[in-house]
Amino acid sequence: MTSTVSPVTPVIENTHELVISATDLSKRFGSYQAISHVSMQVRRGQAFGLLGPNGAGKTTTVRLLNHVISPDNGEVLLFGEKMTAHRADRLRTRIGVQTDTNVYENLTARENLMFWARLYGLASRERKARVDEVLDIMGLAHRARAQAGSFSKGMRQKLAVGRAILHRPELLFLDEPTTGLDPQASAELISHLEDMVHSFNTTLVMCTHQLAGLADLCKDVGFLVGGRMEASGPVEKLVAERWPGHHVRISLGAESDELLSRARTHLQDESAGISCEIKADRTLHLELPDESFTEGVIASLVAAQFPIRSVVPVTYSIKDLYFDIASTTGEVAA
Amino acid sequence: MNFQRVLTVAHKDLVEVVRNKQAMFPMLVIPVGLAVMIPFGIIVMGSDPTMPTSAFGLSGLIDQLPKGILPPDLSESQKMVYAFTVYFMAPVFLLIPSMSATVIGSSSFVGEKERRTIEGLLYTPVTDRELVLAKIIASLVPAIVITWGSFGAYVFIVDTFASPVIGEHYFPTANWYALMFLVVPLLAFLTVALIVAVSGRATSSQGAQGVSFLVVMPMILLTMGQTTGIMLFSTTVALVFAAVLVVVDVVVFYAVAGIFNRERILTKLL
Repeated sequence: MTSTVSPVTPVIENTHELVISATDLSKRFGSYQAISHVSMQVRRGQAFGLLGPNGAGKTTTVRLLNHVISPDNGEVLLFGEKMTAHRADRLRTRIGVQTDTNVYENLTARENLMFWARLYGLASRERKARVDEVLDIMGLAHRARAQAGSFSKGMRQKLAVGRAILHRPELLFLDEPTTGLDPQASAELISHLEDMVHSFNTTLVMCTHQLAGLADLCKDVGFLVGGRMEASGPVEKLVAERWPGHHVRISLGAESDELLSRARTHLQDESAGISCEIKADRTLHLELPDESFTEGVIASLVAAQFPIRSVVPVTYSIKDLYFDIASTTGEVAA
Repeated sequence: MNFQRVLTVAHKDLVEVVRNKQAMFPMLVIPVGLAVMIPFGIIVMGSDPTMPTSAFGLSGLIDQLPKGILPPDLSESQKMVYAFTVYFMAPVFLLIPSMSATVIGSSSFVGEKERRTIEGLLYTPVTDRELVLAKIIASLVPAIVITWGSFGAYVFIVDTFASPVIGEHYFPTANWYALMFLVVPLLAFLTVALIVAVSGRATSSQGAQGVSFLVVMPMILLTMGQTTGIMLFSTTVALVFAAVLVVVDVVVFYAVAGIFNRERILTKLL
């Protein structure tokens, strides 16, 4: 897969426009409540990660947003227009969706893409050029004339993603787009998606429970658990709300329980506003009001002659947030 | 309705069918049997004066034909050959497109569901009506092409083996043109639309084929009976019958598109 940046410089307009505005969506299948009162907003040029374990309702949410299934309750606005059956075909021309790796096996890679290009109304000359470009981007140019039935899972994945981006959609839904890809192909795909978001102002909604590298691409996330949006917003903000203050982990020279307990008592007695916890790895985990408190804590421990081996700032990631939300809601993360 | 999208989906389906030898085989074998082998056997054996027409059970049917419908001055064996080729084979050519269409049409939606390609298609700008029409066209075109191809083969057989018996080139008659170029496409559209509707609600290709057969056969049998009668009357009657089929086709198409349900296809059948 070759990551290429188009030489064309796009004109980015109205970056604050809401591309997706979903309000109070609910969907029930028989006795199973798949989605409960889900609301979400995604702005133009935003890369939004829709996270959640298997069965959380990610795919159902994508289907609802695209009006492939109808909500029992709530409404969806795409590009400022209410998504209805009558508007769906027009609005879908501006959207690209990849939800699986199922492509037409009796057609070649090129034929699969040409079929999609015609459905999205690409003009004849543009169609051929764009199909060649996408085959190149996805690293499938050398297999363009091979039937998709002969492809590996990773190649099918590339083809499925390729057809979703073929018509340069303003809004792109990708469901586990890196599944089945080797690390290099996965990194190149993420890099290309970053190009699309940053250079072309494409709005991206990426459903996944694979968190590696996600934070680089998706600065905003929503956590779906059991059909409910448990948290939604910028990753930094969500992390800061969940773990406020500054966190450090201190290893002492000796790891005896008695020493750790004494150090914890010392810190709690000496410094107001500090919470201290002994972790299973026999380190002290401190939550400080802010980073400036770190120096005072270290000085206090040194003055009391506690042997400090290391002081390491603790940073929380999207992965920590994911597991924290999954565990607090009783869901087992996939 | 965006016809480019309709033709794009139909073309894709046709390419898939042509490349699927397992689907092509029964579509070609049945017409060859019905339009070539059977008439060939009956004409060759029926024209043999030593073979009584009663051997094929046709003498009774010939007796039931309206008086004056067969050309005068034909011998018994000539009557049998003429009646068989002009009147009794007509309904068979209504059966061919329906049977061919069943093979493709019954898997039109359920086949995509089984191969799990339908979801991607449902996210595209293709509307319900466009999708239903595309699936109908994708089944209709090969069904009609096969029927017309069978008709060409049938004309050749009649011309080669039956015309010498009769003593002149008498086939195809005017009614056959009305049948092949009006009634067959219109009736095929109707049956394909019903089969596609079944396919949209079936859970497997085998189930769709079985139900399609049950849905279509009574209608085919009814039409076959009527067609025999139409072939006995004038071209005008055949044209009126075709006009009625046009109306029925339009009504059925809108009804089938109306009951098409993306949500059901995605949530009940995958």
